[in-house]
Amino acid sequence: MLRGFRNFLVKELKVLARDPKILLGMIIVPLVIFPAMGAIMGYAVQTAQERGVKATLIVVNNDGGNWSRSFIDFLKGLNAMGVGFNLTVHVKENVEPLTGEKVLELLSKYNAAQIVEIPEGFSENITAHFSNPQIKARLRFYGALRGASVFENVDSSVVDAVINQFNRAVAPDVLFSEKATVIKGEIKYGVDPSTVSGLLTSQSIALPVTTLIVLMLAVQVAATSVAMEKEEKTFETLLTLPIDRLAILWGKLSSSIIIAAVGSLAFMAGYNYMLGSITAGIPKDLKLDLAALGLAPSTFGYLLLGLSLFVTLLSALALAVIASAFAEDVRSAQSFVGYIYPLVFIPLLTLMYLDINALPLALRLVLYAIPFSHPAIVSKAVIMGDHWTAIYGIIYVSAFTVVVMYAASRLFATEKILTAKLKFKGLKRKEKAAKAS
Amino acid sequence: MALAVEVSNVVKVFGGVRALDGLSFTVKPGEIYGLIGPNGAGKTTALRIISTLLLPTEGTVEVFGLNVVEEAEKVREIISYLPEEAGVYRYLSGWEYLEFMGRFSAKNLDEVRAMVREAAEISGLGERLKDKTKTYSKGMKRRLLVARALMVKPKLAILDEPTSGLDVIHSYHVREIIRRYVKEHGVTVLLSSHNMLEVEHICDRVALINKGRLVAEGSPQELKEKYGCTNLEEVFARVVKLA
Repeated sequence: MLRGFRNFLVKELKVLARDPKILLGMIIVPLVIFPAMGAIMGYAVQTAQERGVKATLIVVNNDGGNWSRSFIDFLKGLNAMGVGFNLTVHVKENVEPLTGEKVLELLSKYNAAQIVEIPEGFSENITAHFSNPQIKARLRFYGALRGASVFENVDSSVVDAVINQFNRAVAPDVLFSEKATVIKGEIKYGVDPSTVSGLLTSQSIALPVTTLIVLMLAVQVAATSVAMEKEEKTFETLLTLPIDRLAILWGKLSSSIIIAAVGSLAFMAGYNYMLGSITAGIPKDLKLDLAALGLAPSTFGYLLLGLSLFVTLLSALALAVIASAFAEDVRSAQSFVGYIYPLVFIPLLTLMYLDINALPLALRLVLYAIPFSHPAIVSKAVIMGDHWTAIYGIIYVSAFTVVVMYAASRLFATEKILTAKLKFKGLKRKEKAAKAS
Repeated sequence: MALAVEVSNVVKVFGGVRALDGLSFTVKPGEIYGLIGPNGAGKTTALRIISTLLLPTEGTVEVFGLNVVEEAEKVREIISYLPEEAGVYRYLSGWEYLEFMGRFSAKNLDEVRAMVREAAEISGLGERLKDKTKTYSKGMKRRLLVARALMVKPKLAILDEPTSGLDVIHSYHVREIIRRYVKEHGVTVLLSSHNMLEVEHICDRVALINKGRLVAEGSPQELKEKYGCTNLEEVFARVVKLA
């Protein structure tokens, strides 16, 4: 181990962990903000459920009995009842068998998000319910995955509200719903589209957002750590101690990684709580294996994703440490890393919404060249089972990191770490203005 | 026996500025040697080169026979440097700071503890060592830093303005400690100071530097006699004017 590394690392962790800016920004804020957001959004969903929402329902009547007609009339009359429904109802008689293809065709035709199927035996079961309350009538509810928007969950909750209203009007618990989701053209029974949509949201949004926040926080921590040593005049003393200069560099990088990891855990805890609050209405007993449904990475894919995140984090930290080594103080260091931020958030936000393969070649090459794009590229690639894109990405980012680390270690080995100074035009102007005043 | 410090024709150029312009002087083991000179004379640059922080553009510097460029790591094992504007980690307590610094030089935990106890005595901070250093006054921080520099009992202590920011009582206390350390532990001290009274009282020999060059050298008594002055302040003013 590098001489003095452990001692230095322990000091770094103590100093970072006791800094209220870090404690507040990286741990307290995510733990408070996300649950608060979750509570607000959960309330919004609940209110939407209570009020009813504007929705287009396609009713496929495969029963044809009296109760099925009564149910359709009930649906059509809901808007006029003044209980907050604003439904547009389209009725299709006898669509059997209702295949995945047919569901998609109907949804697309009427630009709707859900289909309610009244299966054969519906009327018979309702009639039987009055003599034997154990017998219940079933409605089938179909949704299709067409996006991962959080607010699609609200739409699919309409059917629950409709059933509640019907049960209230006819008899308690006479109706229950069975939910199904069309995934890749196949109907998956027992899979609530809201649940899948919620889980997909966490896959496609949580990862880039988490990466973005963790990278930015880690860069901030690393950048200020060297600059703070300079600003607080502790750096000169440090460089004359019998400690390996690389131990200082590694100590700073390691402590930043540890603090960033703790921060990201806090972030994930807060974020999960938020998702939990939003999808609180979804039955807990429904276990979904997204990997089996072809909507999540395999174990090897997750491993590659983790590796990609780690090397990207390391490359960002190394860049930040170099940047801060050139800064005279914390303010200059923060200004300098401000130039790194667009390289972090533009590719990640772009890749959240766009598929890299659909972009023009030049833009694609630019995104591949930016190391911080890779976690988002890898996250999509591993879901598609494209492990080679992930592996090439990891190799590229690792090579980039090695080059940056080499530059950082060279910098730490010379007097430039003490004498290197970069001032920025904006700062210079401010300083001049301050002096003039 | 090797000289404690041997500075030979050292030149240091920053951009187009010659901060040191052929500086040469030697410090004997067990001596308290003072560098004095006006602001910008090159005192701090000289101390930084001897401390392995900066590289000389030309010339050589040896500390106890070790070249500060080629054997920088070995030099760092036998020196202790106190910069003029040194700071402490604000989120560590004084005690933690001393322990952190001690661990780099000590061979085991007992040695660290002994060093910290020694530093506690030197600094005179007592119970306040348990508090975070962000609550310390400037003087308290300086006492902590001086204690840190001396607690490791270096072969060469390089102290840039050791009593900067201290009041009269604490300055006196620090000077006494430095003197005691030289006597008891055979520590060699190279210091710079603007306080002529301090230099006159504490230093065995003094070098006057101006514009990166040595302009006068000798014991305070020799210098006073040579320039016909009653104190070192007058010597300083005269030499700088002549230069």
